[in-house]
Amino acid sequence: MATFLALLAGALAYAAVLTLAALGFLLLYKATGVVNFAHGDLLTLGGFLAWWAIDDLGLPVVPGSLLAIVLLAGVGVVLERVAYAPLRKRPQMTVVVATLAAALVIRASIGIWQGSEPRRLPSPVGDGAWHVAGAAIAWQRVLIVGVTAVVVALLMYVFRYTSFGRQVRALAADPDAARLCGVRVRRVSMIAWALSGALAALAGILVAPLTVLDLNFGFAIMLGGMAAAVAGGFGSLRGAVVGCLGVGLIQQLVGGYWLRDYAGALPYAALFLVIVIRPQGIVATPASRL
Amino acid sequence: MTETDNAAAPPASSPPVADSALRKTASSGSSPRSDALTAAFDGVRARIGAGARHGDRPPAYRRHQYLAVAVFVAVTALTAPRVVTSAEGSNLLDLWLAYSIAGVGFYWIFGLGGRFAFCQTTMMAVGAYSSAYATGHGRAFWQSTLIGAAAAAIAAAVIGLALARAQHFAFAIGTLAVSQVGVVVFSRTSDFTGVNGQVTGLPYASLFGHTFDSDRSVFWLFLGVLTLVLLLGVFLERSPLGREAVAARDGETVARTAGVPVRRVHLTLYVLGSTAAGISGALLGDWRGFVAVDDFGLDLGIGIFLMVILGGAGSLWGPVLGAGFYVWAPKLLADLDEYKGVVYGALLLVMIMVCPDGLIGLGGRARALVRRRREPAEGGGDA
Repeated sequence: MATFLALLAGALAYAAVLTLAALGFLLLYKATGVVNFAHGDLLTLGGFLAWWAIDDLGLPVVPGSLLAIVLLAGVGVVLERVAYAPLRKRPQMTVVVATLAAALVIRASIGIWQGSEPRRLPSPVGDGAWHVAGAAIAWQRVLIVGVTAVVVALLMYVFRYTSFGRQVRALAADPDAARLCGVRVRRVSMIAWALSGALAALAGILVAPLTVLDLNFGFAIMLGGMAAAVAGGFGSLRGAVVGCLGVGLIQQLVGGYWLRDYAGALPYAALFLVIVIRPQGIVATPASRL
Repeated sequence: MTETDNAAAPPASSPPVADSALRKTASSGSSPRSDALTAAFDGVRARIGAGARHGDRPPAYRRHQYLAVAVFVAVTALTAPRVVTSAEGSNLLDLWLAYSIAGVGFYWIFGLGGRFAFCQTTMMAVGAYSSAYATGHGRAFWQSTLIGAAAAAIAAAVIGLALARAQHFAFAIGTLAVSQVGVVVFSRTSDFTGVNGQVTGLPYASLFGHTFDSDRSVFWLFLGVLTLVLLLGVFLERSPLGREAVAARDGETVARTAGVPVRRVHLTLYVLGSTAAGISGALLGDWRGFVAVDDFGLDLGIGIFLMVILGGAGSLWGPVLGAGFYVWAPKLLADLDEYKGVVYGALLLVMIMVCPDGLIGLGGRARALVRRRREPAEGGGDA
């Protein structure tokens, strides 16, 4: 029971981080149609910025993290201006390469700035653990799940009920029609990049205390989040959450109990099966247009 | 190099000829696929952002395609070994040729077929491990290379069949899943993949009694294989399969309606492209003398994608050029030390902005510029 609880907490926390990464990524995709391969490196950058704010500037953990989130929203806007706005009319593949290039630049810049030495980011709730039924669950994991739940609820609300959300959904459904109806594409795109950057920072800062913060730290998380989002039905927030939960549970529970050596490969194997059986994703979004 | 292809073609400032691939069938009248299709493709290409291609004639109408391969091989064979004399240079030259083979394979899958396969490097690894396994069991070089190629082909056939219904993203992520599972499975110690995914002590490649024991001699082996792959590439492009692939890529629904067996086309291209990857992996293994799982990771996978995009996803020569860039650019930037990564990324960004059709597109653009100067206000077209 204790093992199960610990594994379950690990699974939920992992799923929550993936969800945060996937949401930032999906939000951008819905609003602008961009598949942003730099998202993983934004996660890394978020972690390093928080480390810098806390360690170099001497800020307490929470304000330092908030500062990093705000800064990364700014980085998102800069990326929009530099790597996306000049390419808006170009084919999608061009934009994908531009984001890959941006990822390289970000990663190399972090390397120059901070070196490649791995770091350990302090947790805002300390290194303590919550003891339930014999299992020790790090407070950080509880925090991750809680923050993610709040963010997901907020995003769902924003998407469904606010003007911004309606504009994003309109853009996702039909960019041309949305433009004709007067959606201010430029503004929505800037806000989406900023929000996506902030979400990346949040994900990075939340997961960093549990692992080691190095240059490649964000990329794997982004890949997992992206994969889970596709399994859930790309473009659907609900699907992304379901997909991330599935990935987390499979990796931690199945990997924790039975196939320990192959834990890293398990979610991908499951993903492959999902795509084979249901190529349109678990929560299908109507998307077939010529 | 492809410049020769179009040099003989009449100047074409025709209205957007969308994807010319079906035009041959359309105009020959022997096929149910009608002219209306061509018009439909215009719209589709415009909408997916591929843009109409001006002045591109259908591959089967273009001349000198096989000649272009011959010229490329002759020029490379005559100049490369003379220009490149340093040990490091010969090493990079071989790497360029080996990556070109895998790149051309990826071009078949992605450029021609329009499907993004993340697992090209996994197929290289499958080829490398299978070939190493066969070599370890006493097979000759050519046999084990073929075994490596066949293993990659079989793996691709199974994966391709399983993912036949998956579209765009789903296919990309499905193949990404394959590559991630592959990395984990390969890095387990086993009889097949060695200790921690490392197979060492492979003998030099040898063919007809000749042993390719140095970078300079391996160059000829790789160039020979690349020639075969390029010839197959030209053949594919001129074949009905090539036409159908382009049709399926540019407007899947339209192509399906017109009776193009889209899934079969995709599967064929995927298997062919993966086979090229398998051969490339097998050759790399024999050349280096070892196979390591890290050499076939996601980095190289993204690298192969960059090769095809930077070189030009619209041409068979794109991956060859792009592989050259991918291999040499980091070396040229080596003096910049820690700023290398930043400059490299910025360079990619600038390149994709300046020539979105890839390096190969620069040639086309220059040609169009020259032509416009020479014959101002030429109306009409060749269609």
